Amino acid sequence: MSQSVRTGTLINAQDPLDDVESGELGLPVTDLADRLWHVFISMRTGLALILFLALLGLVGALVAQVPAGLAADPVSYRQWLEGVRPKYGGWTNVLDALGLFAVFSSVWFKGTVVLLSTSLVACSINRTPLLWRQAVHPRTVVSHGFLEHAPLAEQINSAAAPAAASAALEQQLRARGYRTIAGADGRDLALYADRFRWAPFGTVVAHLSLIFILAGAVLGTTGFRVEDFAITVGSRVAVGNGTSLEVEAVSFSDSYYEDGRPSDYASRLVVYDGGVPVAEQTIRVNDPLRYGDVTFFQSFFGPAADVRVVNATGGAVFEGGVPLMWGSADETKSIGRFGVPDTNLVVYVVGVASGRVDPTIQAGQMQFEVYEGNATTPIAVEVVDQGQQVEIAGLGFTFERERQYTGLIASRDPGAPLVWLGTILLVGGVALVFFFPSRRLWARIRPASGGSAIQVAAITRHDVTFEAAFGSLIDDVRRGLDPAPGA
Amino acid sequence: MFKMSEYSFVAGLLAAGLAFLCYAVAMILARSSGAQRQTLAAAGAGGGTVTMTGSRGAAQLATYGTLIAWLAFAFLAASLVFRTIAVGHGPFSNMYEFSVSFAWGAIGVYLYFERRYHLRTLGLVVLPIAIALLVYATTIPANADPLVPALQNNLLLTVHVATAIVAYGSFSVAFGAALMYLIQPETGRRGLPRPAILDEISYRAVVIGFPFLTLVIVLGALWAEVAWGRYWGWDPKETASLVTWLIYGAYLHARVVRAWHGRRAAWLLVVGFGATLFTYFGNYFFQGLHSYAGLD
Ligand code: HEM
Repeated sequence: MSQSVRTGTLINAQDPLDDVESGELGLPVTDLADRLWHVFISMRTGLALILFLALLGLVGALVAQVPAGLAADPVSYRQWLEGVRPKYGGWTNVLDALGLFAVFSSVWFKGTVVLLSTSLVACSINRTPLLWRQAVHPRTVVSHGFLEHAPLAEQINSAAAPAAASAALEQQLRARGYRTIAGADGRDLALYADRFRWAPFGTVVAHLSLIFILAGAVLGTTGFRVEDFAITVGSRVAVGNGTSLEVEAVSFSDSYYEDGRPSDYASRLVVYDGGVPVAEQTIRVNDPLRYGDVTFFQSFFGPAADVRVVNATGGAVFEGGVPLMWGSADETKSIGRFGVPDTNLVVYVVGVASGRVDPTIQAGQMQFEVYEGNATTPIAVEVVDQGQQVEIAGLGFTFERERQYTGLIASRDPGAPLVWLGTILLVGGVALVFFFPSRRLWARIRPASGGSAIQVAAITRHDVTFEAAFGSLIDDVRRGLDPAPGA
Repeated sequence: MFKMSEYSFVAGLLAAGLAFLCYAVAMILARSSGAQRQTLAAAGAGGGTVTMTGSRGAAQLATYGTLIAWLAFAFLAASLVFRTIAVGHGPFSNMYEFSVSFAWGAIGVYLYFERRYHLRTLGLVVLPIAIALLVYATTIPANADPLVPALQNNLLLTVHVATAIVAYGSFSVAFGAALMYLIQPETGRRGLPRPAILDEISYRAVVIGFPFLTLVIVLGALWAEVAWGRYWGWDPKETASLVTWLIYGAYLHARVVRAWHGRRAAWLLVVGFGATLFTYFGNYFFQGLHSYAGLD
């Protein structure tokens, strides 16, 4: 019996007593929909899908994955691919063709997730009525055969009359937190008892929670995430992406350990919505600013230059901070970039990286490199001192002062609440299943010569805790009742 | 305080080694005297549930082993407490601290199971895992570097890693039981715990480990959201922990599928523990955001 309990179909594994068929019995599988349904509710399918997903995950952890920003742009992707080619050699093209450099957006991954979700929903639909029935309308009277052959089965012979014996058993069960339902079968009394009868719904909750999480993740793709949102201290930058928000970095501070690693860095931000200040906060790592569903995270920082560009009549055409966000290949220079409004001029602002020396650019100086459109050679390269103006293409360029910039991540994730709800349900559901084990037992009290015979039986999935509890229950009942004459 | 922590660490390591020796010698004694016993007990209950009762000497030695294992647990706990006092935050911020915690968790979960199931044979697998972690800890720098800003969220860091220790400890025990399951035939081998018991222990250990691993991942996601602005980013360490979670999730289902029940399920636990270690040592393979101090 114990063997069949553990290895039978799942419905049977749950409870061989509740004669609810999984549909596997009886119904002939006639049409495709039916057949599909059976595939999806099958644990083997579920198992295969989970393992395949794990395999894809392993690939994703071991094979270099293209950064999300590059994947969308074919040119950058090619470049990235050439970068990893030395590492993967001849496999590069194979991995690329299979989409394994972007596993988590590949059809393999998405397809498996869709199939798994379908299976999860199907399993839940299939099982919920059964669990409901077991919790609300359990079968209270069981056969003799079951009482004799159940994995846990005991008989107590007592001098007490059946009603008294039944009451004694009931009392012991209640004391242990069981709910009891009394019944009768002919002249015999029946007693059913269960504990944590709602706990099996934990599996349904856990399964459906995964659907919430996945739905949240899908919804999240309608938001945005800007990872390199740099603001020079003293400047105000529009967030864009369909919002009417702007962010001003009022101040920035950083401090370091003796070994030079940062110990803390923080930015004072003001958020404007439609030009009106709506939020102000100092943010640091682990302490973001949230406004509505948009969040600003402290991410990185570095040097910046305040730059002013004037036209022939002295009118300012550009005025603002340029974050020197990029480094030169040899890491000696920090580079920023801006476009001059209403022209096709692109300006690179180059400074010396902190702690480095450069033969052409001194500390306190900046170099302007001005390009026309996509040209690859600059029309001018000028190194300037602070406050000094240079003429390039009829415009006057001034490096006004050195600044710092703060690098933020700005993101809006409309799916996040759903994901968090899902994770709460997941943890709750799993905890419910495992920490509140649902227990059920059945008893039949027969009148016997000189008293009664009490048969008690339960199913267990090899659970010593329950086996011990069952043993102590039987002992206590036995002790509380006078033994049957001659026993 | 650092000194106290180091002394306790060494004491813990020695005690773990000694406990293992006791168990191993007791096991050998029990097996050699088992031949005489065979005729008496005919491989009854004694040979199955409670091993190492082969001779009085073996039983005594095994009892000492347990006592010393508790000592190892206590020394390591003391080492972690001293270190917490010394560095001012939970001992979970570099590979050294995490390895000691992992070993401590593995011994703790093992002792819990030993109390419940009286199966010291498991210690023959779990203690070496703990010892290996502790020896590994001696090879990496133990200095307490100050925390980079991302690691400065004390509460989340502490809970995230503390739950990981329980999960990893449980998976070590599940692995130990699965290994014992796999090295014997379906019908069992004398001197080793019965396969059915081992199967149950594995399951019980996963029943503890799986919810905790779920919590580890959820807390990790929460932390990633607070620190990096996203709850999930397919960082290799995140991915590896998800793979581990999926394998144990698969195990929970495999156990009730006919073709998978038994050996294949036990293999999943071996693979799952491999994934656990892979996640744990992942810092060496991946260059993700999960860089701890002490590895640079
Ligand atoms: C990643 C996906 C999944 C997770 C995390 C998950 C989680 C769980 C957990 C924690 C349990 C409780 C296990 C126990 O009591 O030992 C469970 C049971 C169950 N799962 Fe899943 N599950 C997943 C996918 C699926 C799928 C796809 C199916 C359907 C084919 C399924 C069907 C079931 C059934 C029927 C049970 C009840 C098993 C029993 O009563 O012993 N699960 N699941």
